[in-house]
Amino acid sequence: MTENISATDIITLKIVSDPKNVSPLGEAIYALCLYATNSEICAHNIQLAVVEALNNVILHAYKSQTGNDIIVQWSQTTDCLYVEIIDFGISMITMPAGSLPVFEAESGRGWWIINACVDEYYYKVVECVERERVCSPLPKGNGLEAISVKSAKNTLTLIKHF
Amino acid sequence: MILHEQKHNDIDVLELSGRFIMADTPEVRNRLNDMIKEGSGKLIIDLEKVTFIDSSACAVLISAFKNMQIKSGRLVLVTSPVVQSLIELTRLHTIFEILPNLPSALNALE
Repeated sequence: MTENISATDIITLKIVSDPKNVSPLGEAIYALCLYATNSEICAHNIQLAVVEALNNVILHAYKSQTGNDIIVQWSQTTDCLYVEIIDFGISMITMPAGSLPVFEAESGRGWWIINACVDEYYYKVVECVERERVCSPLPKGNGLEAISVKSAKNTLTLIKHF
Repeated sequence: MILHEQKHNDIDVLELSGRFIMADTPEVRNRLNDMIKEGSGKLIIDLEKVTFIDSSACAVLISAFKNMQIKSGRLVLVTSPVVQSLIELTRLHTIFEILPNLPSALNALE
C-alpha cells in the first residue's frame, strides 16, 4: 500500500519503550499530520491512534520492560497519511476485535479507539527463524527438524485519508 | 501533567492540566486513591485543562468511579472538549456524571 512512497519521503522517529517517551512522540506525530493536512481533528485522531498503539507495544510486545526499540515511520501521499509502528517484541497472533469492553473493565479500549481514529490498519510480522535439522546414517533418523523463532519485526500500519 | 488538589468545604477537587496519558497514570491513580480513602465521599476530577487523554487515563477514571461506588460516594467529572470527545467515543459518558465547569460541579455536590 505504500508503493508510491520513496524512502526519502519517510520521516523516521525512534524511541525506547518507556511510557515517558510516548508523549513527545505523539506530539511530533501531531505536528507532522497538522502540517500535512491542516486539520487539527485529523492530526489529533492520528496522534490518539499512535499513542494507543505505542501503549500496546510497551505493555504487550515488551511486557512493560523499558529500553527496547520502537521505530515510528511517518509518510504521506497526496491524500493519505501512513504511520508505521515497528517493534521487535512479542508478536500478536491475531488482531484484537476492536470492540468495547464492559464499563467496569479498566483495559481493552485501545483497539476500539484505533479503529475509530484511522481509516485502515494492518499488522505484519516478519520472523527470523532458526531451522535445526538432524541427519543420521539410520534411515529413520533422517529429517528430524526443529524450527524456532529467533526474532520478529512487528509492524502496525495506520492509514488515514484526508 | 500537573496535579492540583483543592478542598471546597467537604468536597475534594483534583485538578489536572496538560497531557494525561499512560506515563501519568500511576501518580494520578495513587493521588485519587488517597483522596477517596481520606475524603468525605464527594469528589470532583477537573479535567478542563487537560489537552490530551488516552485509554489508560480513562482506566484511572473508571477505577476512581468504582472506588467511589464502594464508598457510596459521588464522583463528578469536569471535561475539556478533548476529554469529552474520548469519553463519548468510549461510551463512558453514559456512566460518568459530567458537568461543563467547576462551579456547576461544586453546585451539584453542595
